[in-house]
Amino acid sequence: MSTPTTFWRLAGMSYTQYVTRAATALRNGLKEPAKTQAMRNEALSYNSATWAGGKAGSKKPVQVLSEAGL
Amino acid sequence: MMQRALLRRFTPSLRRTFSTVEESAAAGMTLNFNLPHESIYVGAKVDQVIVPGVAGEYGVTADHVPLVAQLKPGVLQILHQGTAEAEKYFVAGGFSITHPNSTTDISCPEAVKIDDIDSASVTAAFEAAKSAFSSAEAGSQAAAEAQIDMEVNKAMAFAVGVSLA
Repeated sequence: MSTPTTFWRLAGMSYTQYVTRAATALRNGLKEPAKTQAMRNEALSYNSATWAGGKAGSKKPVQVLSEAGL
Repeated sequence: MMQRALLRRFTPSLRRTFSTVEESAAAGMTLNFNLPHESIYVGAKVDQVIVPGVAGEYGVTADHVPLVAQLKPGVLQILHQGTAEAEKYFVAGGFSITHPNSTTDISCPEAVKIDDIDSASVTAAFEAAKSAFSSAEAGSQAAAEAQIDMEVNKAMAFAVGVSLA
């Protein structure tokens, strides 16, 4: 890719990480009934599976994407 | 006599044609506004949508030129047919795609009503993010996260009428 121009790219974040962080900041700034409802959408988890020979290996939960080699 | 007949024949006919701009404007544009966890509008016929693009805010009506825009944290305004007052949502980001057939797809990770924004907690979060930014190493992930927090909280405060710097 050409030289990154956005501050988040320069810091090594992907767009998805940037926008998820922005959504978190938004949810933290809400008033009470809306806030608890919105916080339910915060939860994010990743599973990683390694494919070999056209078959997926077993899934294992991953805390951070870098653990899965991304 | 001959000249007059010739003149009549060769005068271009000035038949009045009606513009079709009013017709398509009356038909409205179609809006699809989706979040990962909720579809706010699917196939809704609206008059206009004002989109907070990173390059600036712009309005989309029927027959708008096709456009793809990344959204900045800001207010999305939807003018329903026959209303003067816009319905507002604060969006965290996302994308808006306007197609050639007057359909606009807007996808955001999160959108809330302006009334749900707590100005006190937003001001506090902005100040905390500002100090986190100044104490973080320039160009680090922590600095970028603090900057994102600052940007979003500043926009949220602005949406409720509080000006932060």
